[in-house]
Amino acid sequence: MTAAAPEPGSRKEPQWAMVIDLQKCIGCDTCTVSCKAENRTPPGISYNVVIAMELGEFPNTRRAYLPRPCMQCDSPPCAGVCPVGATYKGESGVVIIDHDRCIGCRYCIAACPYGARSFDFGEGYDEMIAYAEVQAPEYGVRRGPRWRGEAPIGTVRKCTFCLHRINRGEEPACVETCIGDARYFGDLNDPNSVVAKLASSPRAFRLREELGTQPRVIYLK
Amino acid sequence: MSALTRDEAALRLDHEQTAPGPNRLMRAGWYLLLVTLMAAGGIAVLQRTVNGLAATNLTSTTPWGAWIAFYIYFVGLSAGAFLLSSLIYVFGMTRFEQVGRMALLTALVSMIVALVFVLIDLGRMERALSALVHFNWLSPLAWEMRFYLIYILLLAAEFWFAMRADLVRRAARSRLARWLSLGSRSTDTAQDHRMLRVLGTIGVPIAIFGVHGGTGTIFAIVKARGMWFSALTPIVFIVSALVSGTALLALLYILRQKALRRPVDSRMAADLGKLLGGFLLVDLGLLLYEYLVPLLSMAPHETEVLHVMMEGPYAWSFWILQLGIGMVAPAIILMTRLRESVPLTALAALMVVVGIVGVRFNIVVPPLVIPTLRGLPAGQYFPSAVEWWSSAGIIAMGLLLFSLAADLLPVDDDAHEIGGTAHD
Ligand code: SF4
Ligand code: SF4
Repeated sequence: MTAAAPEPGSRKEPQWAMVIDLQKCIGCDTCTVSCKAENRTPPGISYNVVIAMELGEFPNTRRAYLPRPCMQCDSPPCAGVCPVGATYKGESGVVIIDHDRCIGCRYCIAACPYGARSFDFGEGYDEMIAYAEVQAPEYGVRRGPRWRGEAPIGTVRKCTFCLHRINRGEEPACVETCIGDARYFGDLNDPNSVVAKLASSPRAFRLREELGTQPRVIYLK
Repeated sequence: MSALTRDEAALRLDHEQTAPGPNRLMRAGWYLLLVTLMAAGGIAVLQRTVNGLAATNLTSTTPWGAWIAFYIYFVGLSAGAFLLSSLIYVFGMTRFEQVGRMALLTALVSMIVALVFVLIDLGRMERALSALVHFNWLSPLAWEMRFYLIYILLLAAEFWFAMRADLVRRAARSRLARWLSLGSRSTDTAQDHRMLRVLGTIGVPIAIFGVHGGTGTIFAIVKARGMWFSALTPIVFIVSALVSGTALLALLYILRQKALRRPVDSRMAADLGKLLGGFLLVDLGLLLYEYLVPLLSMAPHETEVLHVMMEGPYAWSFWILQLGIGMVAPAIILMTRLRESVPLTALAALMVVVGIVGVRFNIVVPPLVIPTLRGLPAGQYFPSAVEWWSSAGIIAMGLLLFSLAADLLPVDDDAHEIGGTAHD
């Protein structure tokens, strides 16, 4: 039902994709912070992290950064394993969680090869005034105060390319705020879009390609 | 429950007259222990309900822990006990007939315990039943929930047919038995035997491929994790189910005979021990391949898991629980003349039953400790007090269910559905 890979170009809907230029990423974590602010994620949950790595042996060392949002895989293992079909691949290629259906079994967390999913344990930033008064605006759904314990508490959460922003015609928060301009967002179906052009660059690669998940997040090395 | 007490009392009296019953004090102490454990577990479950999964030590990196380990542990016990009962009812191995009903009861109770573990592990417990409403055919977990249900119904039916004639016999003396006999009158067991055979025959593939192979498949399809993604995983599950189920039955049989002050059939204990030893050897052989292939493949995501298992913070679980107590020591007892001693057979069975907890823990946790992407934080997990106590409470609940059923129902009556004519 959900895990079939939509062939880019086979649908009229835009097929959203993200390109991240690793040469431009300076590891400033602005994307992580803006994502947390945008999606009001609780402590311990970041949809978007920047993995910092030391490569090589001293003195020939180099620091490298790898920003990791959800890959919005074209064959998403997370959706395949979900027993109730709460995780599914939407028309526009974004992998969506139906928080009103998720039973919180966390099978999808175990199955995601990119560590892109988090369970909402219900924690909050108590020191932040009114943090608990509003829930995450995920998918544009307002669920009332977070303290009532309504979903997404007790369910699994993840990056959705800021679907609520896309639906308003805006870019994901991380793309908009990226200081190094390292992120591009757009429609893979549109051959003239920047992402479509960059996706075929010889620098383009995807993470853990051997698993066949076909990520929609494309890196430039 | 209170409605049953009079029947219970009547049956107990009855018990004391006909069979040498257990010491009253011992029985009372046993029930008191179980109820106390359940009360402690109840408090833990309450905390978990109020605080959600924050009461556990689970994280988004290590999303499954002790509860899932216990869940697959009890599914294994159940499938193993059931398959043993099939040796009797389907394949006509009459020498094990004495433990046939106990096998079915064990299988049934284990399954209920397993499902309670799954239930408290859900982030949204109140939506548990929606797992039966919504269905994703790609998800092994979705299939499993349905298989478990069918299997439980099947077990209940088999258990009933195995006891039916004895319930009818008791009906005159006990209201519970009359009620449970569901109006059947005949004490002829030929029909029951046929039903047991039919249900058992349907049950064997359901238990092997549905319940236990299926539970292994939940892990086997996760290509993101080292050591899970292997076609051997479901098979290892099935074999270790046979090991754990046989061990539990041997242990229960010997312990119950002792507790009820009845003679232990040492030949049967030895036969069960032999069977257990055989299963253990197959399990050890599979273990060899299960670890050798990833090790020699030198695929880092596999060898990393093996490293965590063998040298990491859970090494004790692998070397001491799984390998030492769970496999090697009992295999030595059961493969030598030592198995002729009933207490040693019981000890070997006990070691297996305890050791398999380590096996289950090692299946669940180490692969979830290795980060899926290099650079992401590694997981760290050890069950919290709430997880320990709730687990103890749930297991006590299972033991209580088992003990009540064994006390109130004709579980221990000399069963001769297929082998002879004890009651005729
Ligand atoms: S990155 Fe993980 S969460 Fe995102 S679509 Fe792929 S498998 Fe699912
Ligand atoms: S946690 Fe929710 S979204 Fe994830 S597999 Fe379970 S039901 Fe599906």
